[in-house]
Amino acid sequence: MANATHAATGDAADGATRAGSAAPFVPGGGATVPPASVPLSFLAAGGVGLWALGLAVWFAADRLVHTPAHPGAVAAVHVGVLAFLTTAVLGAAHQFAPVVARRRLRSVTAARLTLVGMLATAWLLPSGFAHGPESLIAAGAVTGSLTVLLAAWNLSGPLSARDGGVPLVGLRWSIGFLVATVAFGAVYAFNRHAAWFPLLPNRVMAHAHLGLLGWLGLTYVAVAEKLWPMFLLAHRPRARSGAWAVRLLAVGVPFLAAGLLFAVPLLAWPGAAASAAGLAAHLTSLAGAVRHRRRPLELLHGFLFVSVGFLVAGVALGAAAALADVDLADRSRLVAAEVAALVAWLGLAVVGHAHKIVPFIGYSALRARGVSTSPSGRPLLFGDLFHPGVARATLGTASSGFVLAIAGILSTSTALVALGGVGISLTGLLSTLNLAIGPVRVLRRHAAADAPAPTAAALR
Amino acid sequence: MIEVPTTDWDAERRREAVLEALSLVWDPELALDVVSLGLVYDIRIDGDVVEIDMTLTTPGCPVSEQLPAEAEAAVSAALPEVEVRLQVVWDPPWTPERLTPTALEQLGFAPRR
Repeated sequence: MANATHAATGDAADGATRAGSAAPFVPGGGATVPPASVPLSFLAAGGVGLWALGLAVWFAADRLVHTPAHPGAVAAVHVGVLAFLTTAVLGAAHQFAPVVARRRLRSVTAARLTLVGMLATAWLLPSGFAHGPESLIAAGAVTGSLTVLLAAWNLSGPLSARDGGVPLVGLRWSIGFLVATVAFGAVYAFNRHAAWFPLLPNRVMAHAHLGLLGWLGLTYVAVAEKLWPMFLLAHRPRARSGAWAVRLLAVGVPFLAAGLLFAVPLLAWPGAAASAAGLAAHLTSLAGAVRHRRRPLELLHGFLFVSVGFLVAGVALGAAAALADVDLADRSRLVAAEVAALVAWLGLAVVGHAHKIVPFIGYSALRARGVSTSPSGRPLLFGDLFHPGVARATLGTASSGFVLAIAGILSTSTALVALGGVGISLTGLLSTLNLAIGPVRVLRRHAAADAPAPTAAALR
Repeated sequence: MIEVPTTDWDAERRREAVLEALSLVWDPELALDVVSLGLVYDIRIDGDVVEIDMTLTTPGCPVSEQLPAEAEAAVSAALPEVEVRLQVVWDPPWTPERLTPTALEQLGFAPRR
């Protein structure tokens, strides 16, 4: 067995260049992954969505504090959930599912159409909520429904693979919850003023929990079981907590949503308990991965730990909203803060993992163009594709932005919520620019280094 | 035509060249070469054929799927006269215990007992 140790030397760059030029380089490592432009365009759109969420929170701060069910506040929440979270998570799913299942998407064109549909939905619905007309909401609901059905059909190719373990099982469930959430929303959209299905608070909460825990939460919980061991070099062959997290959420969320929808506590409480147990198992899995890691803690873990704090706060706020003996206004604020905390949990996780996933995809695309070295001349690494200082600043703006927004909602301080919106908006701007500019900078330097020296005639 | 059999010295020289070539193939996420990561399980040299058994840190790891192609290309470039056959194996599965002391040191960990 080979067990030699070789110190990396300056020759490594030349060797890596040789290696890279000797064989055609396949982005993503095989024919199963979609072109890099597919996930990158979803993630870039998600970054813009995060920037827009911050602006929406800033504009709607007064509504979010005093009347969380006001159309302006509902519009802000939908910008966050559709333009940011769903767009980014769908993009990641279009990359992740084919890689893990080793099976292609059914259609790359359908993936691109899904992005177009998501963009349309993410702007039609909030615009309709914020300032009408009603036809915008109806158009958004139709577009969103068709888009999600298209995505589910496309992803069903890789998701029908037999192998893939816990991540693929979880993704199958979460895509089902996505379809259910959008169907739920479409019913809302077409019955906004009908007496047979009024928008009672418990029904709004059912919709929110189905989307946040069933679709977005379960997707993250499932995908993390693949990403964490990989990014932390954590080997846990007997770990079962991740599988339990997926099972408990998949079982708990439908009961919770049905219990809230039909105002049946006997359904809602077991569902809430199972969901909370699933989230606890998810945190146990993270603790195990961190304990068994063979890598030092880094930026990603900062995002993960802050994200965990928001998840714990969200569950606590949800429990308080259900159990505390408070008036309707205070209960509304607790629910609004819970939703904000769950969005923060998922938001921090998405931005943190984007600093791993986007460089990987960018790296593959650069290697496919023949770029194998960093500007400093050593082999190209993921760390060369973004500015670490800006990434750390992003963690600061994201954490403080969401903390301020939640604190503002709970303390009825419009100024705090507005300030939080600025932090969230800065996060979207910084992370998107940082992750987009890095690969372009490397490509430009590579092109400049390869450019032929000007001839004397040209200089004259 | 008389064929001269490959000597042990040739095999050893080629083995060293293979290891040297593989040590130039880096994991872009971990900033470590595949030899230090303990991903190279076996190197067999039979005449002008070099067979390499290599694994990945985890099945389905997207970036690690690129490493075998790079490793094969690196060895082919270093030893153009030989035929390189690289196969990815999963048994035994890779564990962090396969990291070399140098790799553990670079990752900020002392070897676990």
